[in-house]
Amino acid sequence: MQEPPAAMLRAFTEQTGIKVTWIDLGWDDLQTKISTSSVAHTYFADVANVDWSRVGSYAKLDWFYPLGSYVDTAALKKDLPQLDSFLVNGKLIGVPYDADLKVTTINRKQFQAAGITTLPTTMAQYTADLRKLKARKISAHPLGIPLAAAEGLSTYWYQVTAAFGGRTFDKSFNPTFDSPDSAGYRALQWMADAYREGLVSGANINMTDVETAQSEMAKGSVASIFSDSPQIQSVYNSKQYSTVLGQVSYLTTPSSPAPPPDLSTPDGAGIPRTAKHPQAAAKFINWLVQPNIQAQLAGLNGTDAPQISLPCSLSAVSELVSHHRIAEGSTVISMLKNTVRPVFPGGPPVWYPQFSNAAYTAIHAAVSGQVSVGSAIHTIAQTARDQKASTS
Amino acid sequence: MVTLTRAATTRRRTTIAGRDRALPYILVAPLVIFVIGLGLIPGIFTAVEAFFRVTPFHPPTQFNGIDNFIALARNSAVRVGAVNTLLYVVIGVAMATVLGVAMAVTLQRPFRFRTAVIAAMILPWALPGVVESVIWTWIYDPNSGVLNSVLHSLHLIDNYQVWIGNNRLVAITFIEIVQVWQMAPLCALLIFAALQAIPNELYEAARMDGCNAWRAFWRITLPLARPGIAIAMVQAVVNTLNIFDQAYLLNGASYTATSLMEQTYFITFQNLNFGQGYALSLVVTLATLVLSFLVVRLVYRKVEF
Repeated sequence: MQEPPAAMLRAFTEQTGIKVTWIDLGWDDLQTKISTSSVAHTYFADVANVDWSRVGSYAKLDWFYPLGSYVDTAALKKDLPQLDSFLVNGKLIGVPYDADLKVTTINRKQFQAAGITTLPTTMAQYTADLRKLKARKISAHPLGIPLAAAEGLSTYWYQVTAAFGGRTFDKSFNPTFDSPDSAGYRALQWMADAYREGLVSGANINMTDVETAQSEMAKGSVASIFSDSPQIQSVYNSKQYSTVLGQVSYLTTPSSPAPPPDLSTPDGAGIPRTAKHPQAAAKFINWLVQPNIQAQLAGLNGTDAPQISLPCSLSAVSELVSHHRIAEGSTVISMLKNTVRPVFPGGPPVWYPQFSNAAYTAIHAAVSGQVSVGSAIHTIAQTARDQKASTS
Repeated sequence: MVTLTRAATTRRRTTIAGRDRALPYILVAPLVIFVIGLGLIPGIFTAVEAFFRVTPFHPPTQFNGIDNFIALARNSAVRVGAVNTLLYVVIGVAMATVLGVAMAVTLQRPFRFRTAVIAAMILPWALPGVVESVIWTWIYDPNSGVLNSVLHSLHLIDNYQVWIGNNRLVAITFIEIVQVWQMAPLCALLIFAALQAIPNELYEAARMDGCNAWRAFWRITLPLARPGIAIAMVQAVVNTLNIFDQAYLLNGASYTATSLMEQTYFITFQNLNFGQGYALSLVVTLATLVLSFLVVRLVYRKVEF
């Protein structure tokens, strides 16, 4: 999220008497800041970004105030479908302010050019269609996967696992992906095969984020992204950057069995235990997620670039749809209402960072052929078991 | 009266002499405080805590002997990082030294704009590692990078290449080029300073004895520049052993080129296992000291003119 316009922050100050000083930090820097200040019990901010993947450890370590007494959880839940991503054993660690979910996007024109008349609904059909796109030379490498060993690669694997009809863990956080017929195993095999077959460009092996894959799709060199992120101002519809204007649309995630999932990976705001002004912080968070504020941050009234990629508030998205400020808005609303779900219902495990690190390095190694898929799966599963045993 | 005056003069002299004696200590005091406060105390703290279990997940802090070191030895990512870091050191120190000597020799004789060239050389050294890595990410980009474009235009490659991908040696070499780009100017300046001390008469005498430029380089320049080369190599050892920015930004966490410093970061700030983080930092510090000592023993020679 970008800093809100000065006029909006001024209005907040006039309304509440609370002055806001906004500081931008990189993701890694912020994690270091949160852990060092929490361990040393020193102040660094009154409100901080809470990453969905860290809420398990934050809840366990009590590094953030539970927000139950600061916000109206029941009311927020009705309008913020991604609120569940910040709930751990009933404790609300953060409130989503910038929505993110994993969706599949395709270039319809390229699919049609390959003779694909029925859009894929299963992974088998989707894979066959990608092969067709490559065979007919519509796209040399039709699938965009950012394969660098980074957090996004783990999330991608969870999304493909869900599409194969499975989950990464059972309710007790035991790995459920280590048998060859499990969804997680098949998902990793699918990713490795896609890379080896050339459905994914060799250049993607060090591609860090989905934004780079999106710009490849905007240039027309990629026909589909399986784990894309919907945005108000999509690069596909940018006259400046896109050569595929009006050709890219969302596809209901191919999946077997139905219903298809759209995993939720939002950014949230929380109050660190070291905050000096928790009451003022709570007022700011409540202000930040108001539908009218979300709509303004999404660029409803102005011509400037939006400060958030997608409002977390359903009401705000509806308002943008009614003002024609968002492409395929009704599809986005439908996804937010019906198919979005947390990556880990009930919150990620406290040892998630270690697990994710093991997952993305092993997936990267398997896809690039340094280790077999079986070996990578074994490493990831063993990490989960070891971490679970050491923290229980 | 006279006596009094003498006594006052003596006292003043004593005070001035005392001040003179104190001045060096006063001047050096800020540095000493800085080194003790930000180097020595945290260093001792790290060395001690390396033998304790320090993690917010399992309070309180407890002495656990060498458990942290055993856990690190069993950690495959740390083992891979150690091998990779060794490659970074070998490749980086070799490249930085050769390039540093070449640049220093080029600068040895005065030429027009030499000062401007030296100032320009310093630029990469002054840039933060993160900024450099971002610049080189664009250069190495497999789809639209300058390197691929230039090599393709020169018909040296048929297809655009993925420089930092699957091959460990290639990836580490290309990442190390970025670090060498940053540290070679400092190496060059350190060696250049040593070259400036070599008397011209030595070269003139050698020339009169029929020694050509190549032989003069091997017989005069290189041996007499050894103090400078040793210092340059030590700073290259320190930098390459501690490589983080370039490896993290260009390669992520991939085993292909992950470094020990990356693993220290992951263990400390991602896994919040501060005890193991301290232990790994201690290992890297000791490795730095041992390697630096070896370089000094092998390369450094006292030179007198």
